Amino acid sequence: MPTLVRKSLGEYRRALIGWTVGLCAFLGMYISIYASMMNDPETFSKQAIAKYPGALRDLMGGMADIATGRGYLQAVAYQLLGPLLFTMCAAILGNRAIAGPEEAKTLELTLTLPIDRRRLLLERWAALALGLLAVALVTLAVATGASSAADMDVPFGSILAAHTGLFLLVLFFGTLTLCVGAAFGRKQVALAVVGVWGVAGYIVETMGKSIDAISWLRWISPVHYYLDGRPLYQGWPYGDYLVLLGATAVLLMTALLAFERRDVGV
Amino acid sequence: MTAVVETEGLTKFYGTRRGLEDLTLEIRQGEVFGYLGPNGAGKTTTIRLLLDVIRPTSGRATVLGADTRDPRVRARIGYLPGELALEGRERARDYLQFLADVRGGVSRGRIDELAERLDADLSIRMGELSKGNKQKVGLIQAFMHEPELLILDEPTSGLDPLVQQEFLAMVREARTAGHTILMSSHVLAEVEHVADRVGIVRAGRLVAVEDIAALRERAVRHVELHFDAPVPKESFEGLPGVRDVVVRGASLRCTIDGRPDALIKAAARYTVVHMVSAEPDLEEIFLTYYSEEEGRHAHAGA
Repeated sequence: MPTLVRKSLGEYRRALIGWTVGLCAFLGMYISIYASMMNDPETFSKQAIAKYPGALRDLMGGMADIATGRGYLQAVAYQLLGPLLFTMCAAILGNRAIAGPEEAKTLELTLTLPIDRRRLLLERWAALALGLLAVALVTLAVATGASSAADMDVPFGSILAAHTGLFLLVLFFGTLTLCVGAAFGRKQVALAVVGVWGVAGYIVETMGKSIDAISWLRWISPVHYYLDGRPLYQGWPYGDYLVLLGATAVLLMTALLAFERRDVGV
Repeated sequence: MTAVVETEGLTKFYGTRRGLEDLTLEIRQGEVFGYLGPNGAGKTTTIRLLLDVIRPTSGRATVLGADTRDPRVRARIGYLPGELALEGRERARDYLQFLADVRGGVSRGRIDELAERLDADLSIRMGELSKGNKQKVGLIQAFMHEPELLILDEPTSGLDPLVQQEFLAMVREARTAGHTILMSSHVLAEVEHVADRVGIVRAGRLVAVEDIAALRERAVRHVELHFDAPVPKESFEGLPGVRDVVVRGASLRCTIDGRPDALIKAAARYTVVHMVSAEPDLEEIFLTYYSEEEGRHAHAGA
C-alpha cells in the first residue's frame, strides 16, 4: 500500500472505529425492535400508519409496508437515519483529507515532500474510500445478522444491493467534502455544501416527488439515485448506481484540477 | 559557482495585497544566506514560492537547477516552516520515519543522532509536544536526509540558547559538506555569526544584499581613547571616517566608519594609556539601512 494511503488510514483509524461502532449500534438496536413490534401489530397496522400526515409519510419513504421485513428495514435503516449518520461520517473524514490539515497548518510540510499534488490528493482520497468501504462492510455484516436474527425474511442479495447504494452515496458525499475542501481549503464551507445539497436533495426526492414545480430537481439530487431504484425490493438499480459513481469521478477530477493550481494555506 | 536558488522578477500578490515584488536573487552553492526582514515583509512568501506551496503571480524561480514545480527536486531540500504545526496522537519518531520514507530514506541512526544533539524526546505524541520540542522535531526532519539545500524559516524561534548553539553548529557542518542554507530571521544577530551573505527584504521588496564581511568592515564602531594628558580636540577633527568627536580632558570618544587607520595615526602623536573599541554592531547598520530606506520612501511619498 502506498505510504501516504497507509499514513492517512492511520490518521482516520480512531474516527473509523468510532463511527463503525456507532453505526453498528444504531443498526443493531433499530433492527432488533422489529421483533418486538411484530408482537404488537397495533402500532404499525395499516390503519395506524394512515393516521400519520401524508407529508410525514412521504418524508419517511412512504411507510406503506412498514409491518413487513423489507418495509421496516427500509424505513428505519436505509431511508433516512442510516444514510444521514453515514454521510456525516463521510463528510468528517472527507474534511480530514485536505481542508482539516490545511486549517491546522500541517499540510504545508506534507506538500513540500517529493510527492506531486495529484498523487497526494489521490492517495488521500483512496484512504477515504477504503475507510468508508471498511465501515460499509462491517455495517453490512451487522445489518444482515440483525435482520436475520429478527426474522425479517429479507434475502442477503437485497440487503447487499441496498447497502452498496448506501456506500456509493456516502462515497459521493465524502468525495464532495474532499473536493470543496481541496478547492477552498475550508472545512466549514465543505460541510455547508454537503449539508445543503444532502438535506435539500433528500427533501426534493421524498416530499418533492408530488410537487411538479420542484420535482425536476430530483435529477440533481444524489439521494434520488440512491432511493429511486428501491434496491431492497427490486434489486440492483445499475443505472442509478453508475450515475453516483460517475458523479463521484467528476468530483474527484474537479478536486484534482482545483488543488493543482491553488495557493495552499494563505 | 553555480546558483542553487535563482529567482527572476519573482512576484506574488494576494489579491491586491503585495506579498513580494520583483525579487531577483541568486544563492550560490555552499553559502549560508541570511534572509532578513521584519514580520510580514515577504520572507515566508519567498520561501513558500520556492517550495511551490504557493504560486507566483509572475516571474520565475529555479531550485537546484530545476523548476520549483518539479516535485522530485523537493527530496533534495530540507524545509523548516515558520509556523510549524504538528498534531495528532502519532509519536514524533513515527512521523519522522514517515517523512524519511517518503523522501527516499535516511541513513541508519541519523534521526537518533540528531535527537541526541538537540536533546529532543521523540517518544512524545505530536499533539503534546512543547513549542521548543516541536521546533526540534522540525529541525530534525529538515536536516535528517542531509539535503543539498536547507530552507529554514525562523529556525531559532523557541529554542533555548544551548540548543541554538548546537543548531548553528549543524548549519556550519552542512556548509562544510558543501550544502547550501537559506535561513530567514527578523533579527540580524541570529544569523550574523553563521551567514556569509544577508539579503534584506522590506515591504515585499529586496532592498539590499550584503556580504557579512563587507558589512562588518563598514560597521560603525564606537572608540574610546585615554591619554596621559589632555589633548586638543582640533587634532582629531576632520579625520576621514571619524565622527562625533567628544574630548573631555584626557579622554576622547568618537565614532568611526570603516577603517580606524586615520584615528590611530592621529592618536599616535600622544601617549595612549587605554583604548576601548566595541565590537561592531551589525544590528545598528541594519537599522540604519531601514531608517534610510524609510526616509527615502517617506520623501518619495511626500
